Amino acid sequence: MSRRAVTTLLAALGVVLPSVSVRADGEVTIRGAYYREASTRVIQPVVAIDQNLPQGFDVHTTYLLDAITSASANAGTAKDSIFTELRNEVSLGVGKTWNKTRATLGYIYSAESDYWSHTLHASGSQSFWGDTATVALSLGLSFDQATARNIPRTPFCATAPSLNCPLDIYFAGVSYTQVITPTFIGQLDLESAYLDGFQGNLYRTVPNSPMGFENPPEKRLRNAIAARLAYFFPSTETGLQLHYRYYFDVYPGTAPTTMGPNLGAGYLQQPGYDPWQVQSHTIEGRIYQQLSPTLQARFTLRIYHQSQAAFWCDTLGNPSCYPPQGQFSITGTPESTDPKLGPVNTEYPEVKLIWDAEALRDVPFFRWFAGGTFEISYGYYYQSTSFGDAHVLQTGYTMPY
Amino acid sequence: MSCLVRLRLWLLVATAAAGVAGCAHPPPPPVQPWQREYLAKRALRFDGDPLEDHFRQHWWGAREGSDLGFGQPGGGCGCN
Repeated sequence: MSRRAVTTLLAALGVVLPSVSVRADGEVTIRGAYYREASTRVIQPVVAIDQNLPQGFDVHTTYLLDAITSASANAGTAKDSIFTELRNEVSLGVGKTWNKTRATLGYIYSAESDYWSHTLHASGSQSFWGDTATVALSLGLSFDQATARNIPRTPFCATAPSLNCPLDIYFAGVSYTQVITPTFIGQLDLESAYLDGFQGNLYRTVPNSPMGFENPPEKRLRNAIAARLAYFFPSTETGLQLHYRYYFDVYPGTAPTTMGPNLGAGYLQQPGYDPWQVQSHTIEGRIYQQLSPTLQARFTLRIYHQSQAAFWCDTLGNPSCYPPQGQFSITGTPESTDPKLGPVNTEYPEVKLIWDAEALRDVPFFRWFAGGTFEISYGYYYQSTSFGDAHVLQTGYTMPY
Repeated sequence: MSCLVRLRLWLLVATAAAGVAGCAHPPPPPVQPWQREYLAKRALRFDGDPLEDHFRQHWWGAREGSDLGFGQPGGGCGCN
């Protein structure tokens, strides 16, 4: 038998056998993230369990805690008071895989002292053309509710007798992934989300404005298109990834006001005025390098550029940018000083190490961890906004069982 | 155009379409099963670390204005 025939036979067996023998029953992941910037610190431990079940079913569940300590509840303003918030998140997902088809159904619940969220999501994917092409469709619904604490808050919602501000989100996404060569893959994504409800922070103040609190427009249609390419060089065990994403949002339908802020040319008054109009470009490059048979490094650089929302202005730098009280109706005057709705530029370089812990196999006690994978990463997040730069540290361990 | 002529035209188009469909073969897939050894590498996966992606999505939803606001619940930051 020729060498090529043997190789082909072994490869064919390799395609068939994993489904009946080598696959682990599941894996458990423990993960932690630490984020620190000038006035905010986040510690996020996560536990996730993936379990394979008979007949192509699988279950995924996670528990996540967000411990957020911030200099103020209305971040981004001049107010200064220490504020700690705990957010608990649990999720449960079920998947079913057929030969070339996969479907998933999932639920996420998130709870804070003043914010609750229920999310339902489903997806389906189909592979074809010799399993080199995959089309995936994702759909989701999210029902959020903010309930105000008894502190100064926005008058635009959360006013007596109801203290609740609902937000409904409808999401749809479609992606196409194509294996182009044995070492080259491309992907195209389209995503869209329709938001209806209060989209701001209940406590964020807007100095020098008529109402004194944030009031973003209630409806928003958010859209993104993304392209990804990945290439692998077998001779050097080096991989490259390049991601690009373009985002834009609009007010769906006719906005309740035709009035924009005074950005130097008087108060804008134009029929068909769209108060959102945020656009952004994101480009991210990654280099994967195998340093040894069990150690891999990943270098990432992400660059983000965003234009401001049309209704946003900096009322500290431009005190007269929002019209005086009484000139417009309360609900028809969108206003915000949220830094992330203004012009934003960020850069994020990061290095990550991934170590398959086989070397621990002969070390007493630690050999229990030899079947798993450790990872640790550090990145520095440069921000042009008033949030300031941030350190980001992440670590995790995944153990198959 | 008479009904007869229109019918003949439709028949011609249908016959041509059926011929194309019957004779055309899709091109072979660009990668054969025995050429897939590198496709499981982390560098060739876009969904290799969903927990990391989830953390990043929440973080950028709180600091940048172009997350879609879906799948990263949390309101203390006004992330939506």
